[in-house]
Amino acid sequence: MTEYAIRFSKRQRFEHAIVMTTFVLLAVTGFPQKFFETGWARGIVSLIGGLDHLRFIHRVSGIVFSLFTMWHIGVAVILAAQRKMKLTLLPNRQDFKDAVQQLRYDLGLVESQPAFDRFDYRQKFEYWGLVLGGLVMIMTGLVLYFPMLVTRFLPGELIPASKVAHSNEGLMAFLVVITWHIYNAHLAPGIFPYDSSIFTGRISKKRLKHEHPLEYARLYGEPAHDEPAPPAPETPPTP
Amino acid sequence: MKSTRGVCFFLFVIPLVASPPLRAEASTRNEEIETCLSCHGEKDASLTLPSGEKQSLYVQRDVFEKSVHGARQGCTGCHPAQAEVPHPELKARDKAAFVAGFKDLCKTCHFENYTKALDGVHYQILTKGGSAPFCVDCHGAHDIASPTVPRTRVSETCGTCHGDMAETYAKSVHGLALAAGNPDVPVCTDCHHAHDIADPRTKDWRLTTIDLCAKCHTNKTMMGKYGLSTNVLASYLSDFHGMSAKLAASGEKPKIITALCIDCHGTHDITKAKDGSSQVLKANLQKTCTKCHAGASKNFPAAWLSHYEPSMKRAPLVWAVGVFYKIFIPFIIGGLCLQILLHLWRVLVNR
Repeated sequence: MTEYAIRFSKRQRFEHAIVMTTFVLLAVTGFPQKFFETGWARGIVSLIGGLDHLRFIHRVSGIVFSLFTMWHIGVAVILAAQRKMKLTLLPNRQDFKDAVQQLRYDLGLVESQPAFDRFDYRQKFEYWGLVLGGLVMIMTGLVLYFPMLVTRFLPGELIPASKVAHSNEGLMAFLVVITWHIYNAHLAPGIFPYDSSIFTGRISKKRLKHEHPLEYARLYGEPAHDEPAPPAPETPPTP
Repeated sequence: MKSTRGVCFFLFVIPLVASPPLRAEASTRNEEIETCLSCHGEKDASLTLPSGEKQSLYVQRDVFEKSVHGARQGCTGCHPAQAEVPHPELKARDKAAFVAGFKDLCKTCHFENYTKALDGVHYQILTKGGSAPFCVDCHGAHDIASPTVPRTRVSETCGTCHGDMAETYAKSVHGLALAAGNPDVPVCTDCHHAHDIADPRTKDWRLTTIDLCAKCHTNKTMMGKYGLSTNVLASYLSDFHGMSAKLAASGEKPKIITALCIDCHGTHDITKAKDGSSQVLKANLQKTCTKCHAGASKNFPAAWLSHYEPSMKRAPLVWAVGVFYKIFIPFIIGGLCLQILLHLWRVLVNR
């Protein structure tokens, strides 16, 4: 029987579900506004029932996304301050070394792939891309939502500048997701058809050992395959 | 229906000519005109309608001869029922009905414009029992001349009823140029159409106005003559207002159609953008914004780039953000795709 280790808490799985849903809704209701002159944009607007409905969904999804982002950051800051959470997603020098080694491996210059800890550089890149990009989207989105209020204190040029930033940052986030995320979480050899751990919260020990050997070693030492593994310790929560 | 005394009198004095019915063939056209004018050429030819209104039946020979139909139409072409003498009993009870009775006569030849007019707002009003013009009210009857010669004639015709608007238009940049003989500026019918006139109070109409303005204002040859930019449509569309207006036509229309060309520049009262009274002059812009954005601050109008493309000089922040993403997006996405392809290549090689 396959043995599993706990990888994500209920809160983390819930956060992923929320981000996934709001991201799809925001993209579906956002891109028709960016590519307003195309036939498919008009098609989506018609399908949703007009521009007012489209914008309502976009704004509600945006508010939900913003609140969860704030909550996520708030929880991480508080738990880290209380030393209840290890910030395992923080990038460090090893990540850059890993990325270089991976590239050298892919080019056939070195024999071995880098050994990753709990999160590899690809996952950290995507996580920080989402958090920082999300903050840009939230701030520019708010400027576009309340242009009258913003221009009471700040120059008017901020409005069209925010529109350009919101539109481009959204496009970039979408492109990163359909290339990097879809590849790494769905299409990559060994992962296909999808990495279920973010939905079930657990990962098979075999995969953990293969994909995150440093974390595996930290958790279980280096047990032989046929030996029963020690009871799985509680995985520290991570942002 | 009871004939009036006027009709009876009028019909009795018509000479025998009568049956068989007259035909408006070319050879007999002149003869026909002469026959009709023998009665209708009399200045006092008239009848009293059941409503008590007096309707003149006088046709001025020289006016008719000078009209567009004068050289090619007889009388019965438009008045086929009156080919019989004595004329059949008149059904109209009042003057409005008498005039309305003629509207179907034009369609025999001018079917396309007639059917277009059936889609127009004037006809909609007529079917609801209101008062609105149809064919002869604008074109005249025996004095029909080309409605657009000279072009100033159009606004005079429309101005008969829409006097206020014609007056406002005459003072606008388009109206003044028209009076000075400019052939390019639009007259009423260029925007509103002549026959299939849409109700300008509807959202559908409002949304078509962008294309109306754009038709001339994106024409490089025409705008070149006056030193006007043809980038006005593209720069409008790249703004929030333009994008919203483009999408407003899909699905259920939004409660509020965002600002269109006409909302900032005006409609019949359009002035040169640099004119002191222009709504879009920088000094007047805040007031123009408040038409929709009540309480707009002094900074607010700068949110609109005034049809300028963002550049290092104009809107440097907008320009810089655009340039940043033009470099950043290909760099990031290109880099990621390269890594994916490399990884796949390695997997294939190792297999």
